[in-house]
Amino acid sequence: MSTLLDISHIDMVFDTPKGPFTALKGVDLKIAKGEFVSLIGHSGCGKSTVLNIVAGLLQASSGGVILNGREVSEPGPDRAVVFQNHSLLPWLTAYQNVELAVKQVFGRTKGKAEIKEWIEHNLQLVHMDHAMHKRPDEISGGMKQRVGIARALAMQPEILLMDEPFGALDALTRAHMQDSLMEIQQELNNTVIMITHDVDEAVLLSDRIVMMSNGPAATVGEILEINLERPRGRLELAQDPEYTRLRSEVLKFLYEKQRKVEPMVKPRVRKKVQESRQHEAA
Amino acid sequence: MKWLKPFKKASVQQVARLSKVAAISAVMGVSAFTGQASAKADFELGYPEKEELTIGFIKLTDMAPIAIAYEKGFFEDEGLYVTIEAQANWKVLLDGVIDGRLDGAHMLAGQPLAATMGFGTKANIITPFSMDLNGNGITVSNEIWAQMKPNIPKMADGRPQHPIKADALKPVVEKFQSEGKPFNMGMVFPVSTHNYELRYWLAAGGIHPGFYAPHKGDTSGQIDADALLSVTPPPQMPSTMEAGTIYGYCVGEPWNQQAVFKNIGVPVVTDYEIWKNNPEKVFGITEEFYNKYPNTTIRLTRALIRAAQWLDANDNANRPEAVKILSQSNYVGADYEVIANSMTGTFEYEKGDKRPVEDFNVFFRYNATYPYYSDAIWYLTQMRRWGQISEDKSDEWYKELAAKVYRPDIYEKAALSLVDEALVKLQDFPDFESEDGFRDPQTHFIDNLVYNGKKPNDYINQFNIGLKQGDRI
Amino acid sequence: MTDASVVSQSVNEGKSSPLSFLAGLGIAVNPGKVFSTVLMPIIGIVVFLLIWSGAARNIDTSLGKFPGPVVVWEQFGSLYQEHVTEREKAEAFYQRQEKRNAARVAKDPDYVPKIRAYTGKETFLDQIATSLVTVMSGFLLAALVAIPLGIAIGLNKTLNAAVNPIIQIFKPVSPLAWLPLVTMVVSALYISPDPLVAKSFLNSMITVMLCCLWPMVINTSVGVSSLDRDLINVSRVLRLPALKHVQKIVLPASVPMIFTGMRLSLGVAWMVLIAAEMLAQNPGLGKFVWDEFQNGSSNSLARIMVAVIVIGVIGFGLDRAMLAIQRFASWDKSKATH
Repeated sequence: MSTLLDISHIDMVFDTPKGPFTALKGVDLKIAKGEFVSLIGHSGCGKSTVLNIVAGLLQASSGGVILNGREVSEPGPDRAVVFQNHSLLPWLTAYQNVELAVKQVFGRTKGKAEIKEWIEHNLQLVHMDHAMHKRPDEISGGMKQRVGIARALAMQPEILLMDEPFGALDALTRAHMQDSLMEIQQELNNTVIMITHDVDEAVLLSDRIVMMSNGPAATVGEILEINLERPRGRLELAQDPEYTRLRSEVLKFLYEKQRKVEPMVKPRVRKKVQESRQHEAA
Repeated sequence: MKWLKPFKKASVQQVARLSKVAAISAVMGVSAFTGQASAKADFELGYPEKEELTIGFIKLTDMAPIAIAYEKGFFEDEGLYVTIEAQANWKVLLDGVIDGRLDGAHMLAGQPLAATMGFGTKANIITPFSMDLNGNGITVSNEIWAQMKPNIPKMADGRPQHPIKADALKPVVEKFQSEGKPFNMGMVFPVSTHNYELRYWLAAGGIHPGFYAPHKGDTSGQIDADALLSVTPPPQMPSTMEAGTIYGYCVGEPWNQQAVFKNIGVPVVTDYEIWKNNPEKVFGITEEFYNKYPNTTIRLTRALIRAAQWLDANDNANRPEAVKILSQSNYVGADYEVIANSMTGTFEYEKGDKRPVEDFNVFFRYNATYPYYSDAIWYLTQMRRWGQISEDKSDEWYKELAAKVYRPDIYEKAALSLVDEALVKLQDFPDFESEDGFRDPQTHFIDNLVYNGKKPNDYINQFNIGLKQGDRI
Repeated sequence: MTDASVVSQSVNEGKSSPLSFLAGLGIAVNPGKVFSTVLMPIIGIVVFLLIWSGAARNIDTSLGKFPGPVVVWEQFGSLYQEHVTEREKAEAFYQRQEKRNAARVAKDPDYVPKIRAYTGKETFLDQIATSLVTVMSGFLLAALVAIPLGIAIGLNKTLNAAVNPIIQIFKPVSPLAWLPLVTMVVSALYISPDPLVAKSFLNSMITVMLCCLWPMVINTSVGVSSLDRDLINVSRVLRLPALKHVQKIVLPASVPMIFTGMRLSLGVAWMVLIAAEMLAQNPGLGKFVWDEFQNGSSNSLARIMVAVIVIGVIGFGLDRAMLAIQRFASWDKSKATH
């Protein structure tokens, strides 16, 4: 398979009041076209930083990202992002939110009717056609995230970047969303990088799981190939021993190899450190 | 008459021609109408150059000619469309005229003189029309009245004998001084008639009202003062006295009568008693306005003359109607009864002590509207007396300044053209042919001195209190 | 609000109790709500009127007794009557003017007749209109300046650093302190033989504008600078051009804060305007109050009281109007409450 996205030798150093803080050190990752890759790791390990660098929202201190042979230097619709908290414009309806993106990307190439059709198509894809003229505050969290996905898909990106897209949803809704995402993925075969905390989600959705080591100077720890057959059904997989093995591989990495060694005393200091890290990551 | 010569340059014919073509000419500004043998205006009055005018006033009954000229349509008869605007205080009013926000205004007689002289804001203000005689009073608070009253001689019926002199106030002021308390009084403006009248009355009673020393930057007028005088806008006088900030004040009507009605003070003396038929307000415009709009100025003067005549016609028969107009909120706005008290020939002193003062407000009789040079000079003598004019001036200087500000030439044109149209009678005016702008030496001052406008320096030298020739603070 | 107005209408129209009336219309009425939205305010007002008239009877001013509700109510009528009378006078004025113009044209054929505006006094209703026009003009002018400025400051940290100290210093200054300066500057700069608007109007308007400016600038800039990071990222991912970014993201996102600033400043502006009019004798309700105070007639206090009530009602109305506009225009309904 050809490499669509090449993340090579990325270092990320943040300037903090206490001096430079190395968040990422030597992150290397190649992603093929049509591949679904999950990034998993403990919070503060720099997953989001990697994603933001790929999105162009952050500039790596050294190293670079090459998409389709061209270096990424700024954000663009070819790397659509699905944000954790949907990030819909609250004053626009679902339709208008998608429209803003579509018009920006296809405003010159598609006609009016075509644009309308394309917007509606993408909303149908996420099963939001029934509520497309509602505003974000009128629909549920899951629905908002669907619209967010529709907006990202509607840009026809080279790669879809999802930052814990279902993190804020309840378990049931999350399962629905995962199923939907698999459905869409089946149909469109997009290239996806998804950040997740959820081991099951990672195994269920991914072709590969990239497990990141803990920071500071976090980097790619292990990469796990998920060769489960598609389409995948969560009930069938529950009994699949391969699934169980893969799942425990990830858990092992997270809780044995990269267990967050944190002192139980001085919780206040720990909190401070975490806070400052989060702050830096943001 | 010698000193009037410089103002006689332009011939009548010139003036007539110029006004016919409504030319704007600086010559007009200094041209004086000579009042030729005929009693007819031998010039043709043109249409007004400026028709929409704004005229300022202070809420006092002596603004009446302006209100009457408006309400009776005299302005409109002249083709003038006038907006009448109440002003917050005399300074705002004067600044309004100077900066052109107002085209003309009801002014204190001293204002055009002081402005032309450069005491305060410097500007050439002229007056073609004197607005009234008398009309002011001095009021003290109830507390002061109670202390004054025992010092006043009584009439057979037990009421105080008038005029009440400041001698009765002197012990009160001395008591204040011995207690180390300042005796504060209010007047309406440093160059107001009220300031000079209050000072005249106080000084005549041996109370020193204080000197000004503008050359030393002192414009408070409280140097050597027994009574400390300060400025309060007329309509605020009663409330300021009620608040205890001042113990008395000198102001125009209705603000003395208001004190009686409000039960907060007692008017002790009217300016009629201080100086019988003293000139009061004038109508002021800038010299520039007259130069630019000669016809408008003459027409304004015509309307005001007619209004003044109306106010005094048939022995004040129109006064009740005038009072009704003045009591409208956009004019003076006080209650009918309050304004009527003084405007209809009576004046209420102590509550219930209402006495006839026929001439309390004179708008037309006794040539009230004619801008006499001698009236101007009286104000100048008082300015000199109290140090507002800090240096000696020659009699000529007084006369020249008076002639620069007071403009009987304009008045004469207006009056004669009205006579032509049979709107007024010639005998109601001074004899323009012989009139030199000086009233005969005037008596009837509270201190029995005689004022001769032709000899200002001699006049100043008569006063016990005040600067005399050669004095300097 | 709407419930209350429906109910209070029914109180006026129907003789039967509001509850049964509404029940008859098939409108469900919650008795508790009627109690709190209709009955209590009415009781409140009645009690206030009682205390007012009781207190008024016991306050003796030098202008007579303090006016009670009845006297004030009468003055409402008399002020209206004065307005009607003045309008009749105006009518007569125009008729006279036409005649005069005609007469002059007959004599002087070159004359181009001109109709001049009525020169009579401004009635109470005129003063209300003047104040409203002034406050709205000043307010809109301030919005025109403040919102773009606020956006610029909110977007640009450098600019913010430069402008912020100035704003912080001028913000707490009462606009009334500016009034003399404004007056002098206006009379120095605004020189025109045939001015479009009066200087006094300009003075009041600029004072209102100065007072509206700061809350609007501050709220707008805060609204803009506190723009959600994610929304900025959305804009960046879409590569929205700068202008479109402002138009599509920044502006709508800051609308709730802008409205908060606008409502705040309109309320202050109304109060300041009245004071400015009093101080500068500029036409409007403030001048009305001051004139009446100066007149010191026996009606003056009642008339001032009328003005006080009208000022209050208009202030309330302005705030409600802003709220209604905010509800209509702003996406964030949660901010558009009392």
